[in-house]
Amino acid sequence: MRTGVIGLILPPTFSFLEMMWRICPALAVGCTVVALVPPASPTPLLLAQLSGELGPFPGILNVISGSASLVPVLASQPGIQKVAFCGALEEGRALRRSLAGECAELGLALGTESLLLLTDTADIDSAVEGVVDAAWSDRGPGGLRLLIQESVWDEAMRRLQERMGRLRSGRGLDGAVDMGARGAAACDLVQRFVREAQSQGAQVLQAGDVPSERPFYPPTLVSNLPPASPCAQVEVPWPVVVASPFRTAKEALLVANGTPRGGSASVWSERLGQALELGYGLQVGTVWINAHGLRDPSVPTGGCKESGCSWHGGPDGLYEYLRPSGTPARLSCLSKNLNYDTFGLAVPSTLPAGPEIGPSPAPPYGLFIGGRFQAPGARSSKPIRDSSGNLHGYVAEGGAKDIRGAVEAAHQAFPGWAGQSPGARAALLWALAAALERRKSTLASRLERQGVELKAAEAEVELSARRLRAWGARVQAQGHTLQVAGLRGPVLRLREPLGVLAVVCPDEWPLLAFVSLLAPALAYGNTVVTVPSAACPLLALEVCQDMATLFPAGLANVVTGDRDHLTRCLALHQDVQAMWYFGSAQGSQFVEWASAGNLKPVWASRGCPRAWDQEAEGAGPELGLRAARTKALWLPMGD
Amino acid sequence: MSAHNRGTELDLSWISKIQVNHPAVLRRAEQIQARRTVKKEWQAAWLLKAVTFIDLTTLSGDDTSSNIQRLCYKAKYPIREDLLKALNMHDKGITTAAVCVYPARVCDAVKALKAAGCNIPVASVATGFPAGQTHLKTRLEEIRLAVEDGATEIDVVINRSLVLTGQWEALYDEIRQFRKACGEAHLKTILATGELGSLTNVYKASMIAMMAGSDFIKTSTGKETVNATFPVAIVMLRAIRDFFWKTGNKIGFKPAGGIRSAKDSLAWLSLVKEELGDEWLKPELFRIGASTLLSDIERQIYHHVTGRYAAYHDLPMS
Repeated sequence: MRTGVIGLILPPTFSFLEMMWRICPALAVGCTVVALVPPASPTPLLLAQLSGELGPFPGILNVISGSASLVPVLASQPGIQKVAFCGALEEGRALRRSLAGECAELGLALGTESLLLLTDTADIDSAVEGVVDAAWSDRGPGGLRLLIQESVWDEAMRRLQERMGRLRSGRGLDGAVDMGARGAAACDLVQRFVREAQSQGAQVLQAGDVPSERPFYPPTLVSNLPPASPCAQVEVPWPVVVASPFRTAKEALLVANGTPRGGSASVWSERLGQALELGYGLQVGTVWINAHGLRDPSVPTGGCKESGCSWHGGPDGLYEYLRPSGTPARLSCLSKNLNYDTFGLAVPSTLPAGPEIGPSPAPPYGLFIGGRFQAPGARSSKPIRDSSGNLHGYVAEGGAKDIRGAVEAAHQAFPGWAGQSPGARAALLWALAAALERRKSTLASRLERQGVELKAAEAEVELSARRLRAWGARVQAQGHTLQVAGLRGPVLRLREPLGVLAVVCPDEWPLLAFVSLLAPALAYGNTVVTVPSAACPLLALEVCQDMATLFPAGLANVVTGDRDHLTRCLALHQDVQAMWYFGSAQGSQFVEWASAGNLKPVWASRGCPRAWDQEAEGAGPELGLRAARTKALWLPMGD
Repeated sequence: MSAHNRGTELDLSWISKIQVNHPAVLRRAEQIQARRTVKKEWQAAWLLKAVTFIDLTTLSGDDTSSNIQRLCYKAKYPIREDLLKALNMHDKGITTAAVCVYPARVCDAVKALKAAGCNIPVASVATGFPAGQTHLKTRLEEIRLAVEDGATEIDVVINRSLVLTGQWEALYDEIRQFRKACGEAHLKTILATGELGSLTNVYKASMIAMMAGSDFIKTSTGKETVNATFPVAIVMLRAIRDFFWKTGNKIGFKPAGGIRSAKDSLAWLSLVKEELGDEWLKPELFRIGASTLLSDIERQIYHHVTGRYAAYHDLPMS
């Protein structure tokens, strides 16, 4: 089902084609678009003229030519259902913060830098042409980080310098130029970058036939930039190439993934096995093997980490503008006086009301972290009451340190889990389903104490087991091939795990919601840190007893405690890759605001209850889409 | 004529690690054609320059002294006199670079050129052109006879079977022997790239040919199914540049076969300029093997001078 009105914010460096690639899918699925473009270039006027020509349906495409200050105004308009922002990192962050709690969803596509990995088995001359395509042409969106294997460093640098000397820059209508100019602002940015790089001891080489007037900047090659310098941390501007060496392919992966940006990369190697290993290992949205900068509307293009998680092109590009049918439009849950600094900071302490009467409850559960139950850092527990007010049990109060430990345990378990074959993952999920069925009577009795009827409780347990099996079976095999016009060779659309997923379960359906969220996350190869239902976490902890024996350590971690405090810790954690929050409206707003830290994708319920027992909401394709990220792997062929 | 390439010792490490990625080279080839376009009077100048690179060729079974004579005269006066006068280039001595014929016709060509009062070289194909599948003894003898008859440039074909079976030392030895048989004549080695199978083989064969002492490497005989294409040329030009970086010797390049239109010839000039630089844009280091190209260039120049399109019969035959 289509989303509605889309507000599209585009940066000044976009070409007409890129604007069309974002507008056309939105129109195709039935949304209407309001595009905000900066006034500096004439391209928006062409866009506006085009939209005026859409005779029978006036108003489906509207173009506003205005400066960046209009961005918050557009984003907070009441009728907009989704804001798609393409542009610089800091503006994207600020927009994420300001849109927390608003009814519009946010999609970010940030950053322009790409990466080129040159191994010693590559065709170096062709890789140099790839560098020209990436950074020193009008097709590349931004600068390039170039990683060259040490054994071919001299060869590659020599050929790069030779090639730079032959580049011509000038006005586009000249007919014999390689690159043009991108405006005064871009020119200032790159001048500052180069000056800083030089002051930090880098070698800067500029060449090419370039006019010396202001907006034209010559192609630049920076080498010997110390990796710890501040210049090496920021995004590389156009038209700069920053070259650094690496020793082995494994080191190359570490260096390449050691940056918060994750847009696109190319791997140059004539050894198929090595090329594929590097391609699969890079944490980026698009990987080209022995090519750079190839684009096609049917291939999803996007990023991960701080490059934002919105996509254009291919099926993922269409999903951006759709929402599951039957779900109501999002309501704004904005509360203007939510204090982000104090939300969830302190844990309200609960003093016991009076002496406890009744049989001694079981000893308190610990936190399930790293495959075993352990005591919380704060050494305190809180009571859980059942539906008639009696004491049901004690659970531990987790805190920031426990969250930290849980996320670390999840990270340790992640490489092993992500590397498992889909069949192995399915087997574990099926084993857990069987264990749940064996435990049915205990779980059903606990649910009864919480006020659920026996029949319904048993049905809930059965449904949970069924869901686990279903997700186990639904685990997709890797890669399906896309049809791309004009390319000889396959393009694979891979679905990769996100990493560590933080899940805050809703209060209702303590068992079913817990399992319904855990299953897709694990099935797609993620490891999970969960905060179970606050009303009755005991059911989740019962399941943990089975997970302790069946699952590898750290795969799923359960931390109980004050929900707002734990939410705060998870949302602010920079090493959590995505977050699913099903709690209060205020919590949702906080989570969206805090995600601006590392720009993790969030899915927040905004306080609306969800029918977990319905197939569409409890086990629908939306869960599968959100549990993994896409990577496009291009494999041009030919000898 | 510039000094000969003395060649170097065979060093297989120059070719052992080389990799050529075909799709990437194809992409570069498309870019070159699109990105460097020349118009108006600069185009006319480039076309005249292209004329000076042409090895005017006739390699047919039905060549006799009459068409050789016509060819040689056209080589001396490639563009109609009044067109050159209109461009103010009639006194610059514009001729084609050479005339290329079969060994049996070398005597006729030398005679015709002397009668026309022209000192451009006669190039002869040799060594079992075009397939090269004859005994080594007869191939060497062909070269010697052609040189005796007066050819100052020899276009030899390599033994493709040696490339396809990876016998690089044997290939090096053969070309060394061709070099010796040529004596003072210039050696152009035809790689017949359409039959070599892959771009990596083209690079390796180019390197071996240059190491063995060729003065020029040539893409093809003109008789294969696929002759001179941009991807193959890019690989050969990169090999020439790498040889220059390693030894300081400049080797020439000649694409032959399939170059028919003036637009193509401009693209070839751009390619050499981009990959190797301006120093290679001289007849000593760059030739184009063509026969009908000259008429198309002449028609373009006619159009530039008069503003009208010429019919083929408006311009003298070659």
